Amino acid sequence: MNTLKLQRKIFLICFLFIPVLLLLTFVVYPAIELFHISFTDWNGMSSARSYIGFDNYMRMFFNSSDVWSVLKNNWIYFYVHALFIPLELMVAIMLHNKMKGSKFFKTVIFMPYIMNGVAVSYAFAFFYSPINGGLNGILNALGLDWIIQNWLSNKNIVNYSLTAISLWRFCGLHIVLFLAGLQSIPKELIEASVVDGANALQRYLKIIIPSITRVVQIILFLNVRGALQVFDIPFVVTRGGPMNASSTFTLLTMETAFQYNDFGMASTMAITLLFIIILMSWIQDKLFKWGWKG
Amino acid sequence: MGLERVKTMNRKNIISYIFLILITVIVFIPIFITLFASFKTALQLGEEFPLKPPTAFYLKNFKLVMENGKLLLGFRNSIILVILSISINALLGSMTAYCLSRFNFRFKKIIFVLFMLGMILPTYVTEIARFGVIKNLGLYNTIGAPIVIYAAADLMQIFIYTQFVEKIPGTLDESAMIDGCTYFGIFWKIVFPLLLPATATLAIIKAVEVINDMYIPFLYMPSAKLRTLTTTLMDFSSSRFGTWENLSAAIILVMLPTIILYLIFQKFIFAGIIAGAVKE
Repeated sequence: MNTLKLQRKIFLICFLFIPVLLLLTFVVYPAIELFHISFTDWNGMSSARSYIGFDNYMRMFFNSSDVWSVLKNNWIYFYVHALFIPLELMVAIMLHNKMKGSKFFKTVIFMPYIMNGVAVSYAFAFFYSPINGGLNGILNALGLDWIIQNWLSNKNIVNYSLTAISLWRFCGLHIVLFLAGLQSIPKELIEASVVDGANALQRYLKIIIPSITRVVQIILFLNVRGALQVFDIPFVVTRGGPMNASSTFTLLTMETAFQYNDFGMASTMAITLLFIIILMSWIQDKLFKWGWKG
Repeated sequence: MGLERVKTMNRKNIISYIFLILITVIVFIPIFITLFASFKTALQLGEEFPLKPPTAFYLKNFKLVMENGKLLLGFRNSIILVILSISINALLGSMTAYCLSRFNFRFKKIIFVLFMLGMILPTYVTEIARFGVIKNLGLYNTIGAPIVIYAAADLMQIFIYTQFVEKIPGTLDESAMIDGCTYFGIFWKIVFPLLLPATATLAIIKAVEVINDMYIPFLYMPSAKLRTLTTTLMDFSSSRFGTWENLSAAIILVMLPTIILYLIFQKFIFAGIIAGAVKE
């Protein structure tokens, strides 16, 4: 029996040593370091770094207008995506009704999510381009010349142009997750409500959503996380420009670190982001639960 | 009553179809514009309606991309990364999941908590602190950097493997044990083969993720020799060849591998994405 115990111990150590070592080195240690660096003035290269207490935090909260102005851009991604969530559920319900071709539509709708994000971003940069761009070309052909814009260089529009790319890419993921939730609702439940004479809206509110609260919560969480972490679309398409008009919190954080070598400040921003995500998810979750019961 | 029902069903279906077709058009418009542009000359691009299909099978843009874009090198590097990541992740992920779901031991809870920590950490910004670690370990500008990051930070695979391990009855392990099989033997001969469906799902999702990933190769492998398919495209766009008709051809070529994987292995991809998200 003792040899078996020993064998078990050896087995566990052998199997878990590398995964845990990797986890500690590349996830846990950097997470601790991030906290640590946020209290220093480290420039990312020199071995010298001095502790400056909460200076970075003070500077970020009270003395950095950029941080707050780019958060407004993250907000645009958040609320536009949030407005699309009911629509996504509607599309999922349509796909769930097993009509002819629903498999084809599911394939098409999810495809943008699987496509190369950088390639998609460039395709959209071309689509929005003032020179031979597709969007202006189409508007022109439709006689809608007056709508034609500098989609990416007008600072009042650029964030919405970029949010549209984000919608194009990520709506399919939400729809497929909703669809998975719908497929887990017992058919009898919906059929019974039809027999009872419930109309579509009643069914929507009283039966469907309560049965898929888990999926709804996941999607709301993914939306908060996604909107606060928007990075690759503005990074590839506009580099945050014109000026800082389309920068996002994550983009600004990465610039602070890797362009301005202010790793202390960048870490402070990263830690702040972590807390904003946790806080927003928590608030949203509470609101959702409260709204549902109340 | 019956007829009425059929009529409303039909009307509902028609509305659904109109809606779904509209979405399909929205999905395809930017792709088609890019695809068509990749077969056009610069002159045609300026004159023609963007959704007008190319009239001739004009391949010069693609030829230019292949000659100047170093796309083949990028493709080769991406494939190497994919193969290494898939193998390492399948091995480590299944081992970890097996240990964590089958055994009780002292540090199990702590290990779980640490894995959860990795899940709430925001992506991208974590690289600020990880960057120093990678540099100090001499992994900067080597293929090792993305490999260790992909292996260490992939929690979805552990969740998916755990779901599958839990489906394998423990009595199977016990009877093998009675037959004189060691723990190592049980894992290699019984558990790992039974996890094959999970491995397949994860391998395909991982392949898509690795090919599409931009920031980790961009940050950790700046060397021209280590460009992946995605970072090659970024280089090409900022090079002097990066005019729209050429860039369109490059975009199409870079999009193709994951689209093909998706069309062939759709079922696996849906299953994996759903299992991964629902566990969060």
